[in-house]
Amino acid sequence: MKNIFRHPDKSLAAKLIIAIGLLMIIGSFTFWYVLLHKQKKDIIAIAVKYGGSFVEFTRESARYSMLTFRREATQQVLENLSTPEGVQSVRIFDHKGRVFFSSHKEDIGNSVDKASIACKGCHLEPEKSSALLPTAQKWTIYESRKGFTALKVIDTISNEPSCYTASCHIHPKTQKILGFVEADFSLALLDEALFKQGLALTAYVAIFVLAVSASLGIILYKLVSKPVSELAYGMERVSGGDLNYSVPIKSMDEMGVLAKTFNSMIKDIKAARDQRESWTRTLEAEVAKKTEEIQKTHASLIQTEKLASLGRMAAGVAHEINNPLTGIVTFAYLLKRSAPPDSATAEDLNVIIEQAERCAKIIKNLLTFARATPSEKGAININDVLNRTIYMLQNQEKFHNIKFDIHMDDTPFITIGDASQFQQIFLNIFINAADAMNERGIITIATRKIIMDNKPFVEIEFTDTGCGMPEEILGRLFEPFFTTKPVGKGTGLGLSVSHGIVKHFGGRIDVKSTVGKSTTFFVRLPLIEEHL
Amino acid sequence: MKKILVIDDEPIVRTSCVRSLSPEGYEVKSASSGREGLELLENEPVNLVLLDLKMPDMDGIEVLKTIKNRWPETKIIMITGYSTVETAVKTLKLGAFSYLEKPFTPDTLLETVKEAFS
Repeated sequence: MKNIFRHPDKSLAAKLIIAIGLLMIIGSFTFWYVLLHKQKKDIIAIAVKYGGSFVEFTRESARYSMLTFRREATQQVLENLSTPEGVQSVRIFDHKGRVFFSSHKEDIGNSVDKASIACKGCHLEPEKSSALLPTAQKWTIYESRKGFTALKVIDTISNEPSCYTASCHIHPKTQKILGFVEADFSLALLDEALFKQGLALTAYVAIFVLAVSASLGIILYKLVSKPVSELAYGMERVSGGDLNYSVPIKSMDEMGVLAKTFNSMIKDIKAARDQRESWTRTLEAEVAKKTEEIQKTHASLIQTEKLASLGRMAAGVAHEINNPLTGIVTFAYLLKRSAPPDSATAEDLNVIIEQAERCAKIIKNLLTFARATPSEKGAININDVLNRTIYMLQNQEKFHNIKFDIHMDDTPFITIGDASQFQQIFLNIFINAADAMNERGIITIATRKIIMDNKPFVEIEFTDTGCGMPEEILGRLFEPFFTTKPVGKGTGLGLSVSHGIVKHFGGRIDVKSTVGKSTTFFVRLPLIEEHL
Repeated sequence: MKKILVIDDEPIVRTSCVRSLSPEGYEVKSASSGREGLELLENEPVNLVLLDLKMPDMDGIEVLKTIKNRWPETKIIMITGYSTVETAVKTLKLGAFSYLEKPFTPDTLLETVKEAFS
């Protein structure tokens, strides 16, 4: 409430209160002025009426003494009549203005001022002519020398038969007006009453204006200023970022509606912000997901690139090694020819030849890995290839103590590739499994359709009951020349070659292993559309 | 006596061929590059050329084309590090008699050479 009047230029209520207050003061004072003026006028009219009666009474009281020409008696009447407090003076003068009788003796014999109401009441220009006004003015209000308002009433003494027939014969019959009776009354009481009334009215108006302004102030404060400042505070809070704030709704009027609208607006803004934030969060999660995918792809690309460069290097080395091998094989043969057959030397040379040929075989595998040219490309049924491979293995000594647990889906899984290469891949996995199980255990084979990156794939699962592999081995599994088998048993090229082939046909090989329990290889190859 | 020319940038391969074929009654000459081989052929034509596919200065395929163009009667056996079906087919189409994969044994070499002359 204090704030309203501390900065009135900033407060709507203060402005309104000041405006209404000013209007009320102007209105009240106009009313006050009109009322007082009217009252004064009414009171003066009453005073004039009584004044007239008094003058008439004076004339009638003095009539007899004047008719009988007893001047002292007339003078006495006037003196007696002027005794009451309100009567200032009473006098009688003739048409020419000579004072004959007066309540103030010193006044007798004086002339009446021609500019006074005594003359001007009837005559237009008393000094110049005897022309009359259309209506006579028999009274006037003036400011007395003592400082109060005074009323002067005047009346004529007309010529009557008793006058011009009187024994004194002073007045001729032709004279219409013999003289005038004039009385002055003090209106000091009236002044006082009016002053008191004015004072009271002023006090009433002031109290009224104050009371109305105060009530208006309270009403405006409660109905306008407070809700508006609450609204402003709410807006400040909201612009400061606090969207949970709501403005209290205390009424059902326009202010209440405004607060309600404001609250619902904030609610909408908050909902929009929440939605935006949730979008941002979703977006962040999406970005994180994509980043992870990109990182994975990147890692896989690095792996691929590593394998490819290793492959290129291996190929170069392999080509170079073939030349000295040719020499070794040739000269071992030549020596063997000159040595007696079945001699120890011949046997030794055979070892050289065998080992050189083993080198040649390793190189051949290596070059298969390095080279990515498919030989026989065509549509093949993965189940058929698997069945053929398993059938072939079941007759091998290595697999005599291994049970094949087959769970193949009956649907033909058609993929594009080289059947003999796929057979080589499966064979490799089976041999690895047999080695991991010490040629004793169960190999589970399953095929199923899966969706990877929105594309159909056939997943071939090979699970053994072997020794499993720790994490560090799993990471290097597809590197060329990496092997866990004893020297001379594995080249370390099987899985890297398999990896290259599967990759070439758009698939992938994954592995999952538990140390001491099992290893599972997943070969995933893309299915061709018309067989879906 | 049948004349054979070995063109290979590897001395050990050339030596191996010479040592494998000479005792069998062939006159074997050798060249270390395609250019040198073609120069030798200019002076003295041969019956058979053992030609390495991969050589630094002149590619085996190019040498094969030149020989087949100028000496159509000369038979050619290609020597490859590890042949793919495509390269093999390509060289055979260009007129090579056969191809040998390195490393080869003297027996295989002799067998192929004999086939070429039969």
